[in-house]
Amino acid sequence: MARGEGVVAQPRPKPIPRLAGWARKNALVAPTAVLTVVFFVVPLALVAVYSFGSVDPVSLDVGFGWTTDNYRAFASTLYLHSLLRSVFLSLGATAACAVLGFALAYFISRQPPRAQRLLLVAVIVPFWTSFIVRTYSWVDLLQNLGPIDRLAGTLHLTDSHISILYTPTAIAIGIIYSYLPLMILPIYVSLERIDASIYNAAADLGATPWRQFRRVVLPLAMPGVIAGSIIVGIPALGEYVIPEILGGGKTLMMGNILANQFQNTGNYPFGSALAVTLMGILMILLFVLRRKQPLGDVT
Amino acid sequence: MDITPDPEFTPQIALSRRALIRRAAIAAAALPAGAALLEGFAGTAAADETGQIVLNNYPGWIGKNELAAFAKKYPGDKVKMVTNATSSVAEVILQFKSGNFDVLLSDTTDSGQAAAAGLLEKLDWSKIPNIKNVSANFRKAYPWGIPTDYGKVGIAYRPDIVGEKITSWHDVWRLAPKFDGRVVFINLERDCLGSTLKYLGYSSNTSDAKQIDEAKKAVQKIKPHLQAFLNTNVGQGLVNGSTAIAMDWDYDVALLKQKQPKIEWVAPKEGMHAYLEGFSVAKDPDNIEVVEKFLNFALDPVQYADFVNTTGTAYVVPSASSHVKKYISTSPILKPTPAVLKRVEFDHYLGAKGTQLFDAAWQEVKAS
Repeated sequence: MARGEGVVAQPRPKPIPRLAGWARKNALVAPTAVLTVVFFVVPLALVAVYSFGSVDPVSLDVGFGWTTDNYRAFASTLYLHSLLRSVFLSLGATAACAVLGFALAYFISRQPPRAQRLLLVAVIVPFWTSFIVRTYSWVDLLQNLGPIDRLAGTLHLTDSHISILYTPTAIAIGIIYSYLPLMILPIYVSLERIDASIYNAAADLGATPWRQFRRVVLPLAMPGVIAGSIIVGIPALGEYVIPEILGGGKTLMMGNILANQFQNTGNYPFGSALAVTLMGILMILLFVLRRKQPLGDVT
Repeated sequence: MDITPDPEFTPQIALSRRALIRRAAIAAAALPAGAALLEGFAGTAAADETGQIVLNNYPGWIGKNELAAFAKKYPGDKVKMVTNATSSVAEVILQFKSGNFDVLLSDTTDSGQAAAAGLLEKLDWSKIPNIKNVSANFRKAYPWGIPTDYGKVGIAYRPDIVGEKITSWHDVWRLAPKFDGRVVFINLERDCLGSTLKYLGYSSNTSDAKQIDEAKKAVQKIKPHLQAFLNTNVGQGLVNGSTAIAMDWDYDVALLKQKQPKIEWVAPKEGMHAYLEGFSVAKDPDNIEVVEKFLNFALDPVQYADFVNTTGTAYVVPSASSHVKKYISTSPILKPTPAVLKRVEFDHYLGAKGTQLFDAAWQEVKAS
């Protein structure tokens, strides 16, 4: 039989146009993409556009003369000091959250499954109460002649009063308390994924508990620590409710200046310039973190 | 100075009115999405139904029977109250511009700025004859609409802790180092710097850069001794004695005295800065006739007394006194003598330059 004899020629499948193929593959992502563009990218772009505008101080109408004055005004020492204060407080609170969060997450991950579930619910329960209410409750706890002050007095830990409320310490306590669960959860996820046999292997190879922790647990949990630090650090940097309530209005943070521009002064262009600058700083921090850890591991 | 608690007086709000508003403002600011939804809801409320107007007000800041009584007196006319009012200037101006509201509660500073921006409706006072019930000084200070209430910034203190009588702002500055960390100031630039300007012997409405700078330095000088600048529950620490002296609003002190009779109120001899609030009308309201009827109704002595009795505020319609609860009408804090009232200066809009000077000075105070 001659070659090809008796073989019915099959028509070659028509190639799908490249664009149509791409659209078909990404159709499911489309609704999310549209929502992201409309409700995230566009507003963000508007904020960036506003930051180059100017405002009529009486009618608060914004004009777009494309000025860089708002960015230049930010260079004043008043705002730079507030920015530095916010950065340091945010870094400090994030570090404290990481230490406390790691210890708690590690403890939870080493419990039996049923106890783990209960403890995780306990971590989340505070979120069932309003953030404002939880923050105000610290006013009662930390004030002089409040329960902590009285306890410290009874135990003769202080000569007079604790005088913590309305200080940067009170702000730090408020931030750590509010954001700690956001640190615990990603670290717990990282720790929970570690195969128990790895601990055994490390022990068999002669690693002490401390060495196991330092050389095995910590590196494997690092993606969770970085994710938690991002989730805590970003909102902490722009935090203004906690400084307002627990700082007693004496500690000016970046978030307070920003909120004041939008709520009281009505200087939206300057407020936008502050927001864009803050966003730029955060993006640099994220970039640095990404270089330390591939993003795929972080998220 | 003592006030005997009136058994018939039940505060309608556990917090002072401004305290409630500021907490709501913080909550709204923390939840911008929720605030946007509320704003959107308000927009739908402004639908142009015949005979309906939209009033933007603080929660609970109206006589408890007032709206029902209005609907009964004027069948077919309706006042829809939306509780989006705020004390943040920029937000108030935006609300005047939004077209969502016909009548808005706003103070002299906000209404002054709105008037300067051309956002207010000029009223025909012949349609609001009850405006004659308002004392002339309040009417003069709030010419854009109907004044509703006011609050003075004075001194509250605990004589049993301080050990001497306080009569002036000078006493506060003098005693602050002695009561280090037990002195509280108000966290609003016009009230705090305004009271400091009074301490220095200036008008609390000055636009003079030098005077504002002096006030800034005076607050910076006392700041290390301050426990806090507070927006809400300013004098709360006076109740348990953790605060010895407070710059505070009169209504707040009147409420606190119910809890702690040892607290004393002082109308400082240098004078007092004060706010004055009222209902102003946004440009081109949907139903100006209903707006006029409502404003006139709100100033009827019986209806106005309902508002005062509900809120416990200092009042501006003397003819309502006979209907006002004794607790309020006889309070030396809320109903000062004419001599004290003479020392009161209501805040007003300072124009772009004055406002910017105050803003800048306040930011420096907070950052120092």
